[in-house]
Amino acid sequence: MSIGSPARTGASETAPQAPDRRWRLPDMRIPHSGLILMLILVVALASFQTDSFLTTTNLLNVLRQVSAGAVIAAGLTLLMTAGGMDFSMGSVVAVTTAVAAQLIAHDQPVWLAIVVSMAVATVLGLVNGLVVTFTKVAPFVVTLATATLLDGVFLVILEGLSVSVGAELSELGNGTTLGVPNLLVVAVIVLAATAFVMRYTVFGRDAFAIGGNEDVARLSGINVVRAKLVLYGLAGALSGLAGIMLLSRLAGSSPGTAGLPMQLTAVAAVVIGGTSLHGGRGTVVGTTLGVLLLGVVANVLNLLQISSYYHLISVGAVLLIAAVANQLHNRRK
Amino acid sequence: MTSTMLDSITGVGGPSPEAVIRVRDVTKSFGGAAALKNVSLDVHAGEVHALMGMNGAGKSTLVKILSGAHNPDLGHIEVADRVQTQLTPRRARRLGISTVPQRRELVMSLTVAENIMLGDLPNRRSVVRWRSVADEARAALDGLGISIDVGHIAGDLTVAEQTMVEVAREVRRGGRVLILDEPTACLGADAAEQIRALVRRLRDGGVAVVYISHHIDEVLGIADRITVLRDGAVVRSGVTGDIDERGLVRDMAGRDVVSERPQRAAASRDVGLAVRDLSHGRSIDGFHVEVRKGEIVAVLGPAGDAQSRLFDLLSGRRRPDRGALCVDGRPVPLGSVSRALGSGLRCVTGDRRSLGLIPDLSIDENLLLAQDRLAGRRLHRSSALARRAAPLRDDYRVVSLAKNPPVGRLSGGNQQKVLLAKWLGTRPAACFLEDPTNGVDVAAMADIHTLIDALAREGVAVLLASSSAEEVMRLADRVIVVRGGRMVAEHEINGITRDELVATVLGGELS
Repeated sequence: MSIGSPARTGASETAPQAPDRRWRLPDMRIPHSGLILMLILVVALASFQTDSFLTTTNLLNVLRQVSAGAVIAAGLTLLMTAGGMDFSMGSVVAVTTAVAAQLIAHDQPVWLAIVVSMAVATVLGLVNGLVVTFTKVAPFVVTLATATLLDGVFLVILEGLSVSVGAELSELGNGTTLGVPNLLVVAVIVLAATAFVMRYTVFGRDAFAIGGNEDVARLSGINVVRAKLVLYGLAGALSGLAGIMLLSRLAGSSPGTAGLPMQLTAVAAVVIGGTSLHGGRGTVVGTTLGVLLLGVVANVLNLLQISSYYHLISVGAVLLIAAVANQLHNRRK
Repeated sequence: MTSTMLDSITGVGGPSPEAVIRVRDVTKSFGGAAALKNVSLDVHAGEVHALMGMNGAGKSTLVKILSGAHNPDLGHIEVADRVQTQLTPRRARRLGISTVPQRRELVMSLTVAENIMLGDLPNRRSVVRWRSVADEARAALDGLGISIDVGHIAGDLTVAEQTMVEVAREVRRGGRVLILDEPTACLGADAAEQIRALVRRLRDGGVAVVYISHHIDEVLGIADRITVLRDGAVVRSGVTGDIDERGLVRDMAGRDVVSERPQRAAASRDVGLAVRDLSHGRSIDGFHVEVRKGEIVAVLGPAGDAQSRLFDLLSGRRRPDRGALCVDGRPVPLGSVSRALGSGLRCVTGDRRSLGLIPDLSIDENLLLAQDRLAGRRLHRSSALARRAAPLRDDYRVVSLAKNPPVGRLSGGNQQKVLLAKWLGTRPAACFLEDPTNGVDVAAMADIHTLIDALAREGVAVLLASSSAEEVMRLADRVIVVRGGRMVAEHEINGITRDELVATVLGGELS
């Protein structure tokens, strides 16, 4: 009813503040400052522990490795901001690699393999969208089901074997432009485009409105059904792109590529970046930092030759810490 | 247990001259803006102490300080003669200070009994003893003279009943000071009277009631003591008998607030909005109305009756069983939001929280949410947004402390103005307004009434759904009374007095 707690207005504060005796976290006026701090800590720790971390080769390698995941995470950020969820993106990535790899292995032209597999990915995203929009089943349930289903389809397409594409895609996977890995270039373009859409287009703002309150969005003249279908379709298309990127880096598709584990890492990155699970809030910058943090942690564990068993433990721990920090941050605001 | 319940909570029994809470020179600011300045007041056992003020006057901040959610920057609070520093919600509750907020805080899927006993379920070795749960809950309700079946699901109760259950729960937990935040908002006359009767019983039982309300009549009728806040400072605090209605309004607003029917030119002959034979289930049956351009027609009924279905049906959220809609002479299919918007009909909900605004988005973005979509804009720039939103903010007198905060942080009156601006800024051909002054203070109410007058003067056909006879008398040219889902009467506003109108709503003659 009343003014409650008005926004802290930063530099314009002039009135004396009463001393607050309670212990409090450092004031996080810079967005994502907690996340940046965490990233700096990990990087500093890694540089002390091993000389091979802070080398151009290694850093570029990290960035190449996180590129495909970053593309998924970008699509997921937009979707989750609109209150949606897609657990099947990693599995769509897997299916894309399998379809493209089989086509190339069966002597089809590379461009055809790319077009067909990405079309398949887009259609899969749209199917998720149709089911979610028209049955009103929770997206969590729908996409977890399709994820499991597609992980199986993936194995069927590969017939359980590894399929190599040789050097057909190595220009994308290993090539560089002006010294920057091509994979990284693609990821940066996708992230930048997503950030632009979210901030400067009405479609992006529709996503915030739908995530904030779907009823209000519909009553305000936003075509919610169409927006959701586009968002799920886009999630599928970006998964397809990520699939091609992954295939080019690994030079083949084999059981165990992508799938649900890749998806969970992407969800973790988005959540670490501060996007709300309830929708209505999200930033690409946060997601990018989340992707980087998880990528760097994985790389450091690798360099320190720590058993891969600890990989899952570290992703889980980072996610937990970041989620708690976000929550504390939001509550203080 | 039953009969001693109220005696036991007071400790001494009967009203005492000692204040249970003393607030002394409390100052609180948020980010440089002072919300409370040097506020002092006493709350006595066995008294109803009304807290009045406009939206944003500091009532909520004061309540939050009393309930331990905020700590004062300066000054202090004494509870039971002891200075309380570092009051927390948990400590406040232990000291017997309970708040019943405006939004119900019940677990809607559980029974009344479970809600009352929540957190304190009687059990034997962790196994819940359901018989005791029901018995103790019933005793808590009986002790306050409330007759509600404890087996009912909380979500099925009326709003008034939910409020009563919440009060009973707080009293059972040992509440000696009950802070009721607008307990009669959104209630019909009967239900509001039930709540007031309960408040009187609480007072007579020795509970100190802090009563927040915008309804001046109600406060003058129920309060023993009134404190008026304006801009964070106490402008008057005293016994009710010393204050009259006019003085109270002047104290709250800082000026005389006049909201009188203006002279308006006669409406044109063209029908701007026509509804025929609108029927949906048992909630609304055979509703029809023709609103001419420049005319305001009100639909008045008991809270929750047919008039409260109109928003869903006219906005296109729900498809009615039968009916036809014409806007500006052209038929508009019902049950489609986009067709309704396309016709130029603007429906403004009375439920701004769930159907009106997006709390996380900024004021500016909410103001232009509909306008930008209707205009088919593709790009969105926040600097341009601020420039385009500025005239709307000025016209509708939206006031905020920060520059462009999320709309959810505004006071209720300002949120309501944003909601109206969002829709009325889109050049409507016809307009449906549902309870446009729901939960706003007198000054904001006068502002909003003026805005609606202006809308009609511009030649917009305005259909107004309301449950307030005063508002209808102030705004409408014509009134349709509904009850039990049906139209029971129709009057020119000049041909009826307020009292006759109220009598018709309560179940008078069919005309």
